[in-house]
Amino acid sequence: MKKSLSPVILMFLGLLLLSAGIYIVKTSIDPQGMVRVLPYVCIGLGCGIFGHGTGDVISRRILKNHPTKEKEIEIEKNDERNIAIGSLAKAKAYDMMIYVFGALMLAFALMEVELAALLLLVFAYLFVVAYGIYYRYKYDKEM
Amino acid sequence: MKNRLGEIRKKHGIKQEELADALEVSRQTIGSLENGRYNPSILLAFKIARYFDLSIEEIFIYEESEVK
Repeated sequence: MKKSLSPVILMFLGLLLLSAGIYIVKTSIDPQGMVRVLPYVCIGLGCGIFGHGTGDVISRRILKNHPTKEKEIEIEKNDERNIAIGSLAKAKAYDMMIYVFGALMLAFALMEVELAALLLLVFAYLFVVAYGIYYRYKYDKEM
Repeated sequence: MKNRLGEIRKKHGIKQEELADALEVSRQTIGSLENGRYNPSILLAFKIARYFDLSIEEIFIYEESEVK
């Protein structure tokens, strides 16, 4: 079974990142380059991880006293219809993403945005498409 | 795919919730199966058939016109 980080560790990790971000914002004088953005990234990530960890801690605590509810959630999660719906929704979103990102790249090219940013976006787009092709090939071999 | 799940379930006097619990699926899945909106996996079809001690063909009705 895949083991994930304990929610309490996640909570502290998030809090640490958040505090580090706030500390850098408050103490740095005239930051340049990456240091200008880094604290805000830390704050954003910290808030996200902290929220996720806290939610997990609360839900685990509540579910500990309600084993039937826990089983219900487990059934809902593993229900084959729910999994099929999730997969179909993801597939639809992927199809849409291909068009939306394509249009976005074209718009960025016409707007003459910085070449590095545009190339990064193109690379990310192609990576996702290649990932899809890889899994198509992999599943074709497996099934 | 048409099926007789609703009819068989009612004949056995079982609620949708009870069947869902026994098969470890959601109640919505049982509802969708009975309405013919969702076709089960072969595993779930076997589980349903075993639960009622019937064959799959006695519950699920295959029609040639459904094949696209």
